[in-house]
Amino acid sequence: MNAALRSLGLSGITGNPVAFAVALALMALLLFVPAAHNDYFNLVFRNILMYAAMAYGWNLIGGYTGYVSFGNVAFFGIGCYCSGVLSTHGVDSLLADVALAVAVNALFANLLGRVVLRLRGPYFGIATLGIGVAVAEIIANLDALGGTSGLALHQVDEAHFGVYYYAMWLVALASMLGTFFITRSKVGYAFVAVRENEDAAAALGIPATKYKIRAWMLGAMMGAAAGAVFAPANGFIDPSITFSPDSNVFPIVMTILGGIGTVAGPFIGALILAGVNELLQRYIVNAHTLFFGTMIVLVVLLLPRGLVWLFGLRGGVRAWLRSLTAYRA
Amino acid sequence: MSTPLRIAGVGMRFGGLWALNEVSFTVEPGTIVGLIGPNGSGKTTLMNVISGVFKPTKGDVFYGERRIADVPTHAICRLGIARTFQIVKPFAALTVRENVAVGAMYGRDGAKRSTRASFARADELLETVGLARVAGRPASELTIPDRKRLEVAKALALDPELLLLDEVMAGLNATEVDEALDLLRRVHARGVTLIVVEHLMKAIVSISQRVVVLAEGKKIAEGSPSEVLSAPNVIEAYLGSRWAKRQAELRAIDDERRVALEVEPPEDA
Amino acid sequence: MDGILAGGVLAIVAIGFSLVWGIMNIINLAHGAFVMLGAYVTYELYAVYHVDPFLSLPVSFVVLFAIGYAVQRWIINWVVRAPILTTFLLTFGLSLLIVNVALIIWTGDRRGIETAYSGTNFTLLGVTVPWVKLFTLVAALVITGALQLWLTRSKTGRAIRATAMDIGAAQLSGVRVARIYAIVFGLGAGLAGVAGTLIALSSSINPNMGDPFLISAFAVCVLGGLGSVQGALIGGLVYGVIQAVATSVQFTVGGQLISGSGLSDAVAFIVLLLVLIFRPTGIMGRAVA
Repeated sequence: MNAALRSLGLSGITGNPVAFAVALALMALLLFVPAAHNDYFNLVFRNILMYAAMAYGWNLIGGYTGYVSFGNVAFFGIGCYCSGVLSTHGVDSLLADVALAVAVNALFANLLGRVVLRLRGPYFGIATLGIGVAVAEIIANLDALGGTSGLALHQVDEAHFGVYYYAMWLVALASMLGTFFITRSKVGYAFVAVRENEDAAAALGIPATKYKIRAWMLGAMMGAAAGAVFAPANGFIDPSITFSPDSNVFPIVMTILGGIGTVAGPFIGALILAGVNELLQRYIVNAHTLFFGTMIVLVVLLLPRGLVWLFGLRGGVRAWLRSLTAYRA
Repeated sequence: MSTPLRIAGVGMRFGGLWALNEVSFTVEPGTIVGLIGPNGSGKTTLMNVISGVFKPTKGDVFYGERRIADVPTHAICRLGIARTFQIVKPFAALTVRENVAVGAMYGRDGAKRSTRASFARADELLETVGLARVAGRPASELTIPDRKRLEVAKALALDPELLLLDEVMAGLNATEVDEALDLLRRVHARGVTLIVVEHLMKAIVSISQRVVVLAEGKKIAEGSPSEVLSAPNVIEAYLGSRWAKRQAELRAIDDERRVALEVEPPEDA
Repeated sequence: MDGILAGGVLAIVAIGFSLVWGIMNIINLAHGAFVMLGAYVTYELYAVYHVDPFLSLPVSFVVLFAIGYAVQRWIINWVVRAPILTTFLLTFGLSLLIVNVALIIWTGDRRGIETAYSGTNFTLLGVTVPWVKLFTLVAALVITGALQLWLTRSKTGRAIRATAMDIGAAQLSGVRVARIYAIVFGLGAGLAGVAGTLIALSSSINPNMGDPFLISAFAVCVLGGLGSVQGALIGGLVYGVIQAVATSVQFTVGGQLISGSGLSDAVAFIVLLLVLIFRPTGIMGRAVA
């Protein structure tokens, strides 16, 4: 089986190929949602796709490279504001929105990365804690960007509203496929090498910082694109919406639940958790951050490598139970 | 094509401690040099300096004409220098094959290799070190001797001219040591210069052409294995001054006996 | 001046954080939440039972110690030996949990404690010093000193330091590592709680107040060195001053006046960045790639 997988180019680091096939199939299904002409479904699934893209972005730096980031929401938010700024100046093209957002955030991630990615894992993680808040604060203080009152964006008319759905779908698909191709390539191996043992990776010729920055940049671009589409789709943005703690936390939990460092994981996690979140919101308002906090704790304790791993685990329940006590004091 | 490695007056200070102090020697291309010394003498620190992990506080390292003391770790392999780590550092989540392939992808000739070619090269190297049978297993499942083999294979994937081996035989039993020595000889036969850091005297003696001895950060002896291992200051460094004195006394008694025998020939000569 | 006063409290926060990090190799992202809980303990005691905030210091410590002990023993302990990123994520989740439970119980409103002596000041060398803040600084110094003594003199303190240096050796000497871990974590939480109480004396509180302290604690640890009580104290004071200076700045951008105080989070982050860039010593080789 392993030999067959390897001939497909699907090695250990891409994750379970069956799970990937399932994820692709589900993605294809989601293409038909607008056909149901149900505004609510459109919204829910568009959000799922958005979170999936953000999760893929996080997965690259947090999952494959092992550098947990608590600040990726900044890329999403800046992406939103790129669209906002363009809209204020009369440019309403989604393509332009995404292009600008991707470019700006790639640059931002690159510059910021040169500073913070010189640090090792946890130090980087704490540094990122402040990023989201800092950027949000700065934008909130700038009247030119609407300050705390936010920006309104031009939207297409009702009849063409579906374009936002399809655009988000494309962004999510691009993120998923992008992740797939990256992880099959040499670059993907560099990321994983850095995660597994940064010193050994350096000894083998991998300039760790450079690749960490690359991972962060690629991830930033995914989150940025999601934001760029979200802004006009939502019609209105302000610092609290775009830099909300939810937008920061959701992608992280989704990736961990689905399968950190896999190709199918972020999407599956997004599907499940966003779905549950919708249900929660209907019956218990305002408890969703609590829910996600609990989920993180449970997943880290019980399923640290996510559902995709569990799915491929040989040895059933016993093997899983055994894995739980591996790190006790 | 092979260049000499010149360690010139290297000093390395950590806080108040000089881990290395005025160490100088040259490694000629194509040779095997053993580096020995008691614990804490600075052997691994020196390895770290050569491979770019540490920048020396004083002195320089030259590879051929080129000053390499400032070169960062990831660029060192580009110059043809590779190393193994004393505490092995496998990529646990990757298979054995993938571990070696990473080296092939990013090593000296890596830029020109595709993923497929890197895997092919990895397979060759696994054959050489004897890991072909576990190629598809996650590196985390390997036994200690196999992990050591993996370390060597990864280093070889960088196509090195100079290979630094940091206590590669620690933790191996007698048979495994012999196999390791055999592997090193095969690698050497391909033209790779070796610097072998070891505690096992038997291994050092059997494989080194020259030996350098460090103690407390300073070089205290250099020469052929037999010269170095019988030098009193080396014995003293390893076993302490009382032992060294005792050895000297015993040798003196031996010398006296010999003199006595020579001076007084047997009765009926 | 303000900076030094604030720095004392920061030092206590940092010490707790540093102990857990240095001894258990856990970066506790819920530390800010513990500070917040301490503040609320004091608030509740004051609002419901009219207990003077200073008197609630020991209560705060005990309550948070218990919480910390329990959290470590029954939750974190499962993964305490895992790679640092696992506990990282775990404590992040716990932080979310705690903050959101607090939001549910107390809502997001800011609350404050007003006592008879809240607004009183005295003047020293032309500078107005609120009594409350001075007491806070004194309390911080006392606590730091007491902690240092306890760590070096008491049996448990020595057991803790032994575990930090070499787990294997400590175990061989009869130290029960799981229990030590729980004590250390409880201690860290207790210190956070104490800090929270002190903060509640002079600032308003809300469930989200913890995060800036987390970032500050981290910066202080980097500045002062990990696991060192004196280092955390000095680092805390220095950091407090830096922050105070930075937030009093005002400048104009494109015709708009921006004041440092409205940017306090951004400032904290930038200060952290600068600290990380210019002084990762003490954790050289651990912090920098």
